[in-house]
Amino acid sequence: MDFFETILAPFRWLVSWIMFMFHEGFTFLGMDPASGWTWVLSIVGLVVVIRAALIPVFVKQIKAQRGMQALQPDLRKLQQKYKGKTDQLSRQAMTQEQMALYKKHGTNPFAACLPILIQMPFFFALFTVLNGISRASEEGTEIGALSPESVRQFDDATIFGAPLSSTFLGSFGANWNASVVILSVIMIIAMTASQFITQKQIMAKNMSEEAMQSPFMRQQKIMLYILPLVFGIGGINFPIGVLVYWTTTNIWTMAQQFYVIRRMPTPGSPAAKAFAERRAKKGLPTVQLLGERKTEPAIEAVPEPRGQRVQPRKKRKKR
Amino acid sequence: MSRVAISVLAFVVGLPRLAAIGFLIAYRKVVSPLYGPVCRFYPSCSAYALEAVTVHGFVRGVWFASRRLVRCNPWNDGGVDHVPAGSRVFPDGKTPSIVVLNHPVIPADDESRPAA
Repeated sequence: MDFFETILAPFRWLVSWIMFMFHEGFTFLGMDPASGWTWVLSIVGLVVVIRAALIPVFVKQIKAQRGMQALQPDLRKLQQKYKGKTDQLSRQAMTQEQMALYKKHGTNPFAACLPILIQMPFFFALFTVLNGISRASEEGTEIGALSPESVRQFDDATIFGAPLSSTFLGSFGANWNASVVILSVIMIIAMTASQFITQKQIMAKNMSEEAMQSPFMRQQKIMLYILPLVFGIGGINFPIGVLVYWTTTNIWTMAQQFYVIRRMPTPGSPAAKAFAERRAKKGLPTVQLLGERKTEPAIEAVPEPRGQRVQPRKKRKKR
Repeated sequence: MSRVAISVLAFVVGLPRLAAIGFLIAYRKVVSPLYGPVCRFYPSCSAYALEAVTVHGFVRGVWFASRRLVRCNPWNDGGVDHVPAGSRVFPDGKTPSIVVLNHPVIPADDESRPAA
């Protein structure tokens, strides 16, 4: 646990510092520093900063995905070539050819997961900051760059009479608070809806026919129905501040996806067709889409071991 | 007497290489299988290191292997990356298996079976 905390600490500091700066900025512009709206806007500002900073990562991820899609036919050819050859040398030869293939398409399954990993500490830090406000306020401690006073102010801040640090589940019984319940429900619905729309958009418009038939698609469909459940369960447990963050980031994802579908659709998808038609209507020349296979005849690139003597095959031992 | 001394010396000088080979083989047998193929390169880093040490000896081998480990970072796209050829010559049929495995003969494409 301590080790985990040590890793998270700098991220938490950065995240809380950005939020604090936004809060200072809004106060400077004349907003009430103790108002819940100032803090809500600070959270929104934080989301905007983080998501904007992650755009290059997102683009890299799309590129990797498109690359993986583009090399599927080649990969199948390769699997066909080595079908039934199970001896170690053939497996090695296949692995080598596969690696050369990834390189040719500028992608690598082991590189594609990096963008996801990079985001993890940020989101986790953010979550612990927003989620820990209540306790830190009680204990009078600071969180990252937020001073104890700021923490208390944040903890006391309300919107529509709902404290930012209160949760749906904690607002029943003795400390019944209708506005917390209503706000939570609204945000859970908004979160789920934006997530659902994003996924639906991707599946309906931005997938090539090839990808539609892959087993990956089934997984996507399952996700479509599981994620709302996750939001629902998470939503009733998390404070309003976390929900604000979550809703904003989901809406950002939706907007980003809309942009991608409109301006850089997946080759071979309905969105790509619509994109080409729009361009044709305006009399613009067609453009190469991100991750599109080049139409020029493919040169047979059998990877030659560069500058390496050919190793003799191991001879079968006589029995 | 001097002959014995020379062979003893040769053995002692060759010890680090043997130790490194032993360590790498043990690593590849015990640790590698735990997390499957995760390398962005071919051959994988441990296979590369084993071949480098086998072919180039301890000092140069470790040097090549460390350079490969540095190359194995998120900003590298990976691909096929062989150990540079060494001067060590192995007698026919006695090529170490790691060298054979790292340089498989790629069958020509026209050998492929017709699509089923």
